Amino acid sequence: MEEKKKKRSSAKTLQTAREAGYFGKKMLANTRMAVDEGRPVAWAMVEWWLGATIAKAMGVELVFPENYGAFCAASRTAEPNLDYSESDGFPSTLCGYARNCLGYARKLKENNFVIPAESTGGGMPKPDFLLACGAACDARYKWFQALGRYMDVPVWLLEFPQTGSKEYFLPGNKEENISYMVEELRAFVSFLEDLLGRKMNWDGLEERLDILFKTHELAYKVDLMRRTVPSPAVCTDFWALMIPHLYLPDDLEALAFYQRVYDEVKYKVDNKIGAIPNEKYRMMFSELPPWHTLGFFDEVAERHGVAFVFESWNYHVPPPLLEDEKKGITDPLELIARYSYHKFHHAAPAAKEYEIDPILFTAPYLEYVRDYQVDGLMFHPLMSCRPATYTLMHVRNLMLERFKVPSLVIEGDIVDLRVFNEEEALAKFDAFIETMDYHRELRKKEGLHW
Amino acid sequence: MQKSSGLERASYIYTNRLQVARELKMQGEKFGGYLCCYVPVEMLSAAGYVPFRIIGDMNEPITNADAYLPSVMCPFYRSCLDLGLKGKYDFLDGLVSPHACDAAERVGLVWRSYFKYPFTFYLDIPHTVHASALVFFKQQLAHLRKGLEEYTGLKITDNDLKKQIKLFNRQRELVRQLYHLRKVEPPPVSGTEVLQLAVSLMGLPVQEGNLLAEEVIKEVKTRKMKPSKMKGRVLVWGCLIDNTAITSLIEDCGLEVVMDDTAIGSRTFGHDVELTEDPLDGLALRYLEKIVCPRTFRETGKNRANDLENRFSYLRKIVKDWHIDGIYMNLIRNCDIHGYEVPEVRYFFEEIGMPVLVIEQDYSTAALAPLRTRFQAFAESIEANR
Ligand code: SF4
Ligand code: SF4
Repeated sequence: MEEKKKKRSSAKTLQTAREAGYFGKKMLANTRMAVDEGRPVAWAMVEWWLGATIAKAMGVELVFPENYGAFCAASRTAEPNLDYSESDGFPSTLCGYARNCLGYARKLKENNFVIPAESTGGGMPKPDFLLACGAACDARYKWFQALGRYMDVPVWLLEFPQTGSKEYFLPGNKEENISYMVEELRAFVSFLEDLLGRKMNWDGLEERLDILFKTHELAYKVDLMRRTVPSPAVCTDFWALMIPHLYLPDDLEALAFYQRVYDEVKYKVDNKIGAIPNEKYRMMFSELPPWHTLGFFDEVAERHGVAFVFESWNYHVPPPLLEDEKKGITDPLELIARYSYHKFHHAAPAAKEYEIDPILFTAPYLEYVRDYQVDGLMFHPLMSCRPATYTLMHVRNLMLERFKVPSLVIEGDIVDLRVFNEEEALAKFDAFIETMDYHRELRKKEGLHW
Repeated sequence: MQKSSGLERASYIYTNRLQVARELKMQGEKFGGYLCCYVPVEMLSAAGYVPFRIIGDMNEPITNADAYLPSVMCPFYRSCLDLGLKGKYDFLDGLVSPHACDAAERVGLVWRSYFKYPFTFYLDIPHTVHASALVFFKQQLAHLRKGLEEYTGLKITDNDLKKQIKLFNRQRELVRQLYHLRKVEPPPVSGTEVLQLAVSLMGLPVQEGNLLAEEVIKEVKTRKMKPSKMKGRVLVWGCLIDNTAITSLIEDCGLEVVMDDTAIGSRTFGHDVELTEDPLDGLALRYLEKIVCPRTFRETGKNRANDLENRFSYLRKIVKDWHIDGIYMNLIRNCDIHGYEVPEVRYFFEEIGMPVLVIEQDYSTAALAPLRTRFQAFAESIEANR
């Protein structure tokens, strides 16, 4: 029994991945320190590098309640917060991270905004504003708006247009999207200037952007190296490593760290060292993991030689912007807008090629499955995160139809551990191995290259 | 089509809207399907389509959609696609889907991955009402217009659009007249009847719809009303109601549905399009800014009190003007947009002295029976406090 409990958190195969948790703790500690020193603090949604760097360039320290939700889930301390938010009338079907945060915010308020002593990771301090985001998910702004119930602080919504695959190619449409984003970013800068009573530090912003692009370039190269057989890293490594590139890419320490990640992965590739011994099946995972039971992935590696070679499109950096697209841009806000828009639409050509929608959460997998030579997909429909779940069935259909790659569907949740049945999931997995064998043959017959 | 008129005809069309559409199609009409209240019907109509609002069916178990959409999704949109997959919307000639909420966005996009209509358009809708958002939205509308022109080979002139705007404004005006008629006690037309008309209008050519609405008003105005035995007047707030099973249930329990703040109702018919020189300006303004659905983010201001006032003060006016006794907050399970809003709206209503009933329902008539006792209890409590 003891043995089993220990196994639930993942061992991670990269040394750097084992160290990456530091960055999550660093963010939390930085915001608390900022409050002590009278510097401004914000809670931000994951916003794909659209606004956090701008805010940081103006001296704001940020913490990300989504990340905090995952943290609480992994340490299995989310439950009391969930119950607390539900008792205030928030439906139990809402995002687990959101309910964790709403419950936490209520406690914070009831404690006169002194962080309750028992808070996970030392807790998030009261913010001066909330930075919401319009990308991919309604919870990303509705949740922050709902926090008004506990905090008298303004919410800024970072707008994030989303384009259909056909519309992406309409003459002028993309440029209109970018201009719109730039205008919204300008308004955000004004909002910050008014709120903080200081001017934007444009040089500081450019420096930060420079670091961000360097960190991301490394992260992207790491992703490319993961195409190697055997795979040098697996999903549990990635979910730890994503913290620095997702939340702190403009931090010098994160850049130095990512250089080490790159070196470690490169070493493994050069020496043909697989993340798991005896890789037999290459699988992909979509979209958000069961944080509370990551040991599951070690277990299937051990049992069946399954390496999860790629995962979670949403949290990967996009391919770098083409030089052509960057040429002549002098406004850092435009660069930011282009890059973020690109994050969500880089797979538009794939979507067009296969005549499918949406671009987000769907089209990128059409590319990955070929590039990473995937034998099967594991889909994880979540009870409480709809955006990461909406298109899973759709992608499953497309993968089977277009590439003869089968999928395994295992239900669970990011936060609520009660809905993930590990025994049942392992049994399903055992049965799935044969399905992958069968489809491997099928692909061969159809002339697909893996 | 059956030769009835007024309320009877509205009820017939409501019950048989797919069949009515097919009959019209045989007579040469083309149908442009659309989701939610954010698609400018004027544009579809100007391009020669009958704008046809895609809705679900609470009587039909969701089966085919299971292979395409997960069960944690809003069952209303799952039902829409389910009907599509079952061929019930096979008379559609095109589809315009908006980025209204996540569910509307994803279902529209998944839909067109499987159904290759001759014309489709995905209309992105900003979340804010900033000046730049209006500019962007207007550009989106221009793309829609151009796409329709290219596909149909018809030029959609400003005058064509203005003509349609006037026709749809007339329709909205007529529906609002019906709403106003319900300010008196007893209301001469029930919530169920208004819903039947609303659903009917969203599947008819606009002029035909306007004639129907005029007939209904005429009929309602001459009705002889007996004093009501109802226990209270309610406002329905929240997710859309497209099936009279719900309004009838509420009415059976002794409550009069006299006003709504939902997407097949006042969010669809509540505001006119201003006749601006460039008609796209008026359309952008109306569809982005004037429709008040919690999917649109309004600035919060510096504190909660400001925020609540910005977002909900219009509800105070409705409560007063329609002499509301209680609020039914209708939540379709898994609708995040409304789910996050519930505690604050509830608080707002309670602060102005309104009793509130919140129900999270599964969009299925089979699952309505257990709700009856809750509505009955609510009706009793309202009556006691009246
Ligand atoms: S619903 Fe999913 S995507 Fe949205 S905030 Fe929650 S976890 Fe993030
Ligand atoms: S939540 Fe708003 S946008 Fe979404 S379906 Fe309902 S009314 Fe339409």
